[in-house]
Amino acid sequence: MSCKPTRLTRRRFLKTTGVAAAVPYVITSAALGGEDRPPASERIVMAGIGMGGRGRGDLGAFLGHKEVQVVAVCDVRKGAQNAAKNMVDKRYGNQDCAVCTDFREVVARDDIDAIVTAAPDHWHALLSIAAMKSGKDVFCEKPLSLTIKEGRAMVDTARSYGRIFSCGSQRVLGDYGRLAREVQSGKLGQIHKCFADPGGPPRPCNLPGQPIPDDIDWDLWLGPAPWAPYHPFRCSAAYGLGGRGFRTWRDYSGGMMTDWGGHKFGGAMFALGLDHTGPVEIIPPDGKDHKWLMYKFECGIEMYVGGGGPRYEAAKGNVPGLTWEPPKKLLERNYRGHGGLPGDFLYCVKTRELPFRDVEYAHRVATVCHLGNIAYELKRPLKWDPVKEEFPGDDQANRMTWRPMRQPWRL
Amino acid sequence: MFKTTSTIIALLTASILVCCGLPAVAAEADVDKAFDALKTYDWGQDRNLLKPIDDAIVGSHGDAAAQKDLASRLAEVLKTDAPQAAKDFVCRKLSLIGSAASVPALAGLLPDEKLSHMARYALERMPAAEAVKAMRDAMPKVKGRVKVGVINSLGVRRDAESTASLVALLADADKEVVSAAAAALGEIGSPEAAKALGDFQKKAPEALRPAAADAYLACAERLLADGKKAEATAIYKALSAGEQPKHVRMAAMRGMLSATGKK
Repeated sequence: MSCKPTRLTRRRFLKTTGVAAAVPYVITSAALGGEDRPPASERIVMAGIGMGGRGRGDLGAFLGHKEVQVVAVCDVRKGAQNAAKNMVDKRYGNQDCAVCTDFREVVARDDIDAIVTAAPDHWHALLSIAAMKSGKDVFCEKPLSLTIKEGRAMVDTARSYGRIFSCGSQRVLGDYGRLAREVQSGKLGQIHKCFADPGGPPRPCNLPGQPIPDDIDWDLWLGPAPWAPYHPFRCSAAYGLGGRGFRTWRDYSGGMMTDWGGHKFGGAMFALGLDHTGPVEIIPPDGKDHKWLMYKFECGIEMYVGGGGPRYEAAKGNVPGLTWEPPKKLLERNYRGHGGLPGDFLYCVKTRELPFRDVEYAHRVATVCHLGNIAYELKRPLKWDPVKEEFPGDDQANRMTWRPMRQPWRL
Repeated sequence: MFKTTSTIIALLTASILVCCGLPAVAAEADVDKAFDALKTYDWGQDRNLLKPIDDAIVGSHGDAAAQKDLASRLAEVLKTDAPQAAKDFVCRKLSLIGSAASVPALAGLLPDEKLSHMARYALERMPAAEAVKAMRDAMPKVKGRVKVGVINSLGVRRDAESTASLVALLADADKEVVSAAAAALGEIGSPEAAKALGDFQKKAPEALRPAAADAYLACAERLLADGKKAEATAIYKALSAGEQPKHVRMAAMRGMLSATGKK
């Protein structure tokens, strides 16, 4: 079943004819809702785009919410499409879930309120922006973006169109929240250094070509990324930087820096109250004075990419230039609704409040990841202006804040 | 072989260092070897063969002469029959160190369906005015998705000089070209672009109405960011009208609030 709407939904009927219909309209029991389901008019209609393993995990979380109705799933691989559709149909006890390969069919539907997407990183910006520009709210897996300018475009679109956008990373509060609260309360003292090691950067891919299997729309999988021949290890979801999955490769991902950076840097920046800004200096390891990549913030905090973490080290005595203070007001920043990040997102879809992992925070965290990757690649210290979001006077580094997209794609 | 003065100096320096018992600067020879490998480099080969070029580019930061030499050698590869993977690599490197001197070689790839994107990968990121001009000049000479790509890059660069050409493309038979032209005009965000988009969004065919509205909104945001509040507000008012979808009207109303300083 294509994702294009094939029947007149109750929502569309009411929208086009007005409440006072001239002809009798049979209200189905599904539309009225029941003991375990709100009526159709109070449901949040969702679609899933990018339904590999992680995507189906997120989809499952949303399917567990009574107020959600998933009506369509989309993936460039038939296997993932079918697996996601089966999940949805099983949940509702019918065969109604639409499937498609091209996300634009989902975006074109005006009966869908929100999407959940766990597509590969190089697709996050395009998918999300298209969805928001068609009036949909977005739950997008971390990392938010592939480049700094993509992230800012996602924030700008969310604000312009008044959309709710929550990024992933359940670990920021889930795994790292207890320690974050100790930092925020001042219990650990005046923090000077923190340590958060997400793993390494991606690398260029030069895998040989193989015949494209029938299961995948390769051109659509590549999307805005440079053309390259198909190889299963380019596009597999295999974890890590071992060269067997998309996260290894620079064209599709920021490597573990962005994958776990979303968690670890996200956790640290939340704890420290720095996830509304960014560092002012990034110093890569040089084999001499600098063992680990280090970010320096204007308040004097130094964040090191090493040493496990997130963990925090208080200043011993007075540290010149250290002006950081515990952000006690953040003790109130929490999930709303029920059911972790998905529940928080759904709550905010209804109330229009900004979610816990609002796109601006996610962008600031992803930017830190991207800055680190740029420093790793250029192998020299960099200055960064977190307000203008540029490298002052550094043309070469500034060129790396975005990547020209393969036609026909554009942000 | 000795190609440039800097190469000669490097090798002489290496000789002196060797004579002094210091580690020889082997990098130059490695770079030469990498450029040799680049001539036939293809997907499936060892990427590390090209690492000396990566390292040389990194090491050339702050050394304009070294960068110019490297960029020149890279650009030469684009004029050969090296494989697509090799030219892909070259374009990525020129996207970091390319300058006006690199533009002719890159411009030559713009009409090539297989390499147009990677040519733009370098040109779009290059601040040089010659880079934008190359894409502007190529626009009328290419077609289909290659044309769409060039238009998209001109939009990213907010090339006001392309305005008239882009306005003409709003009447193109290719809907993807029309959509791209509208988007590019939205990014340019000039009063001229605004007028054209205003006319376009009134008569756009149904399939292009979302693109037309989006481009018009983008134009308003650019105008607002450039301090042209009255022009931006006029667009927001137009898009607040009843025939626009609800989310467009909402975006327009939010824009009006921004324009008046209220959020």
